[in-house]
Amino acid sequence: MTKLVHNELLKLFRKKRLFVIILIVAALVPLFTYAQYQQAKTTQEKLGNADWRTKLQQEIVDTQNRLSSSRLQDDWRKYLKIRLAQQQYYLDHDINPQAPGAPTFMRVFVENSITLLLPLLVMVAAADLVSSEASGGTIKLLLTRPVKRWKILLSKYIALLLSVSFIVTAVAFLSYTISGVVFGYGGWDMPLLTGFSTKGEELLTDNVHLIPQWQYVLMEFGLVWFVCLVVGTLTFMLSVLLRSTAAVMGIMLAALIAGAILSNMVSSWESAKYLFMVNLALTDYISGMATPIEGMTLGFSLSVLLAWAAGGLIIAFAVFTKRDVY
Amino acid sequence: MKKKGLSLITALSILSAFLWLAGLAWVIQDQFFSAGSQSMDTVKPDRDQTPSIPSDGKSKKLHIAALGDSLTRGTGDPDGKGYIGYLKQELAKKTKKEIELSNSAIKGQTSKQLLDQVSQQQIKRQIKGADIILLTIGGNDLFRGGQGLQQLNSQAINQTEEAYLNNLKELYNEIRSLNKTGTIYHVGLYNPFSDMEDSKKTSSIVRKWNYDSANAAAAFPNIIYVPTFDLFELHVNEYLFSDHFHPNKEGYQLIGERTASLIHFSEEEKK
Repeated sequence: MTKLVHNELLKLFRKKRLFVIILIVAALVPLFTYAQYQQAKTTQEKLGNADWRTKLQQEIVDTQNRLSSSRLQDDWRKYLKIRLAQQQYYLDHDINPQAPGAPTFMRVFVENSITLLLPLLVMVAAADLVSSEASGGTIKLLLTRPVKRWKILLSKYIALLLSVSFIVTAVAFLSYTISGVVFGYGGWDMPLLTGFSTKGEELLTDNVHLIPQWQYVLMEFGLVWFVCLVVGTLTFMLSVLLRSTAAVMGIMLAALIAGAILSNMVSSWESAKYLFMVNLALTDYISGMATPIEGMTLGFSLSVLLAWAAGGLIIAFAVFTKRDVY
Repeated sequence: MKKKGLSLITALSILSAFLWLAGLAWVIQDQFFSAGSQSMDTVKPDRDQTPSIPSDGKSKKLHIAALGDSLTRGTGDPDGKGYIGYLKQELAKKTKKEIELSNSAIKGQTSKQLLDQVSQQQIKRQIKGADIILLTIGGNDLFRGGQGLQQLNSQAINQTEEAYLNNLKELYNEIRSLNKTGTIYHVGLYNPFSDMEDSKKTSSIVRKWNYDSANAAAAFPNIIYVPTFDLFELHVNEYLFSDHFHPNKEGYQLIGERTASLIHFSEEEKK
C-alpha cells in the first residue's frame, strides 16, 4: 500500500503541478502584502495619527453613519450591525484586532482566501488525478496490475490528502515569511476574541473568550485544511466520473464561483444552506461574522461539508470499482 | 536527489496533515466545549496603559475633536468635507502646526444619542486630548428630519426644547469635566425653511432655540456658540443641498470660514 501511495505521489510531483501552485501563492502573497501595507499607510495619513484606537473609532463612526442611511439592504444592515458591535467590543476591551505583524497577515489572508483562492488551488491539484489516466489511457496499465481496484483509488486519495496538507502548509509558510519582511515576524501572543455568535441582528457575547493569536491562526488553518479536503474530495469524485480534466475543472470552478456569488444573495432562500459551496467560509464562525443564511452554525457547516465529502467518496469508490474500462 | 526530495516532501505533508488536524480538533474543542468556561470577566485589559493624546500647549500638533450630527459629518457636500473640512483648510493656512482631526459625528444624531456616545471610552479619550472641540447638535431634535416643524404646536416644541437643553447642559458638563482648557465651538442652527410659508414662525422657533443654547453655553467657560442663522437667512436656497435641509458646498464653506475666523493662534504658532 505505501508503495502505491509513493507511486502516486511520484506522479503528482513529476507533473510539477504542486510546484506551480506554490509559485502562484508565492506571487500573490507579496501583492496582498503590498496592498495591505499601502492601506495602512493611507489611513494613517488621512487621520494623521498612528494610534489604532483612533482608527478603530473612526471605523465605528463610519459604520454608524452607513447604518443611518435608509437605502441599506437588510442583510447588509445586519452584517454592519454585527460588525459594529464587534468592533465596539474590541475597542472596549482595548484589543487591537489588526495589530500589524506577519501572523495577523496570515490570519487575514486565510480568512479571505478560504472560500475561493485556496479551494481553486486544491482543485487544480486534484482535478486530473484519475481523469488524466483515463484520457491518457494509462488507466489500463494501472488496472491490469494484481492489485484490487479500491486499493488503487485509495492510494490516489491518500496522495491527494497529503498534497492538500502540503499546499496548506506551503500557504502558511509563504504568507508568514513573505509578509514578515514588511510587517515583522512578531505578534504570536497577541490576544484575540473568539466565540461570538449571532442571533438575528444581535451579536451574542456570552461565550466570547480570549485566545492567543497563534492558537487562532492554528485553528483557522485547521478549518482551511478541512475545507480544502472537502473541495479536493469532490474534485476527486468528478475526476473519477469524467474522462476530461477540463470538464472536471469547469464544473468545480463553476460551483466554487457560484458559491461565492450565492453567499451574497441567498439570505432568503433557506434551503441553499445545504449546498457545500455556501458553507465554505468556516473561519467566519471563529471571527464572528454574520452568516449568509440565518441559523447556520459552525457545527452545521462542518456536518454539511462532511456529508458532501462522504457522499463524494462513496460515489467515487462505487463507480471506480464497478466501471468497465476499455 | 529527486528521490530524497520526494520523501522529504512526503514526510512534510504527513506532518502538516497532523498539524492541521490538530488545529481542526482544537476548533471543535474550543468552539463547542470550552466556550463560556473562561468568560470575559476574567480578562482585565489594562485600561491604564491606554496612552493619552498629549494635549500640552507646546505640542506640535493641533488636535481637533468633532462631535455631533450630519452637519459635522458633511452630509450634502459632494466632496464629503463638510464645514470641518473647510475649517481645516482655513486653519492650515494660518498655522504651522500639524492638524489632527477626529470626526466622530453620526448622521441623524440627537442630543440624547450624542450624550450616550460621549460616554464611550474612546470618545472620551479624544475629547480629553483635544485642543479644539467642534460641535453641532440639536438640528435633529428640532426638525426630526424635516417633519418637526410641520405641526407647529408650540407646546410640543417647548417640551422638545426643554429636553434638548437639559441634554445640552449635561453634554457641556461632561465635555468640560473631561477637558478643562480646550475651546468648544458649538455651531448653531439655521432655518432651512426660511423661504417657505410660515417662515416667520419657524424662524422665531429657531431663533429662540439658538438663543437658549447660547445662554446655556455662556454658563460654561470657553464655550463659543457660533451663529449660522444669519448666513442662511437671505439666500437659503443657494446654500442648501437638494434635500433642502443640509447645506451644500457653499453653505459648508460659509460655516467653515466663520468658525475658522474665531480660532486664534499665538505668534509662534502662526505661519
